[in-house]
Amino acid sequence: MIDARTTHVEQTEELAAALAALVRPRDIIVLSGEMGAGKTAFVRGFATGMGVSSDETVSSPTFTLVHTYDTGKLVIHHADLYRLGRLSDVEDLGLRELADLGDVVVIEWGNVAEEVLGDHLVVSLEVDDDEEDTRHVVVSVVGHTWDSRWEQLKRALAKWGN
Amino acid sequence: MLILGIETAVEHVGVALGDHRGTLATATVNSDRRHAESLAPMIEFVCAHAGMTLRQLDAVAVDVGPGLFTGLRVGIAAAQSLAWALDIPVVPMCSLDVLAQQAARTEDDVVAAALDARRGEMYWAVYKPGDGRMMRLTEPVVTPPDDCAIHLAERDQYVTCVGSGFVRHHDSFEALTRTTMRADQATWPSIDDLLVLAGQQAAREEWVEAHMLEPLYLRVPDAEINWATREGR
Repeated sequence: MIDARTTHVEQTEELAAALAALVRPRDIIVLSGEMGAGKTAFVRGFATGMGVSSDETVSSPTFTLVHTYDTGKLVIHHADLYRLGRLSDVEDLGLRELADLGDVVVIEWGNVAEEVLGDHLVVSLEVDDDEEDTRHVVVSVVGHTWDSRWEQLKRALAKWGN
Repeated sequence: MLILGIETAVEHVGVALGDHRGTLATATVNSDRRHAESLAPMIEFVCAHAGMTLRQLDAVAVDVGPGLFTGLRVGIAAAQSLAWALDIPVVPMCSLDVLAQQAARTEDDVVAAALDARRGEMYWAVYKPGDGRMMRLTEPVVTPPDDCAIHLAERDQYVTCVGSGFVRHHDSFEALTRTTMRADQATWPSIDDLLVLAGQQAAREEWVEAHMLEPLYLRVPDAEINWATREGR
């Protein structure tokens, strides 16, 4: 588990971009954290870090369910499960298949459907009790796809270490 | 009866138009996941070359899986749209039934059909030939290949195996002595076989209204998401 702390939203985006530099095709990144914790800001920084053009607007797909960005080298799918009621709805999105086929998938509220997502990275964002702009960012992993990158990830996120 | 067949359950896209005379026109594209971009122009192509218009269709047949989610939803959405707009029924086709159909003309033995399901699993079902069509002996399931190998060993019959599932996981079946791998056969469900089967199913009126069409995913766990565990909602 990696613990980090950001003191404003731009830092959360920078942290996400640093994490994106280590992402590979087939990765699934699950974001957890309450409303306003910065999940969409994280994806914005992540997309920039992956090379998505700054002309593209990264907004929350709460109603559209999945937004897809193409960097030219890689396709990134940005999903939000907030409006889904059943695990079969999550399966209907075919997110794991998109990753299986070589894309990168980032899923807001993905933690509620962990059992159908296979191996993935979990980024949990939590608002500080006292400082309203401060976020506690905890990165953990399910499965082994990050084993060989874990030390690199620790170093990449060290500047925001607690 | 004029039927349009749509096959998007695997990596390629197939479209065919046929009636009692047989196949009138067919198109296949190895789409590399470009199902959505390929499908509509292919439907236009087969209609144009068969000299038919969509308004003449009596039914649409579509592969409902099991197979690629990303492909299935393109084919199913297209079939539903056409059927709804033209007020005609949809004939739901199972990918494994179509895959097994290729052996109906040549095999007397039991046939196992399997498609690779990725993640070390495969979709499979077992059939016996009869009446020019394949009768299911087992229902389609998704399991690790070893479970299928155990099932086939326990059947203790000569079994002909077809499909990408057996190609991908052939190691699991090497120890079976009464099993023949037919690597020379098509490894994907073919659009021609889909159309033949669709004609038979349509003759028996095994069809549904557009809104009743359901994909056959097999993997879907039908549980409610436990949002109660989430704070802040």
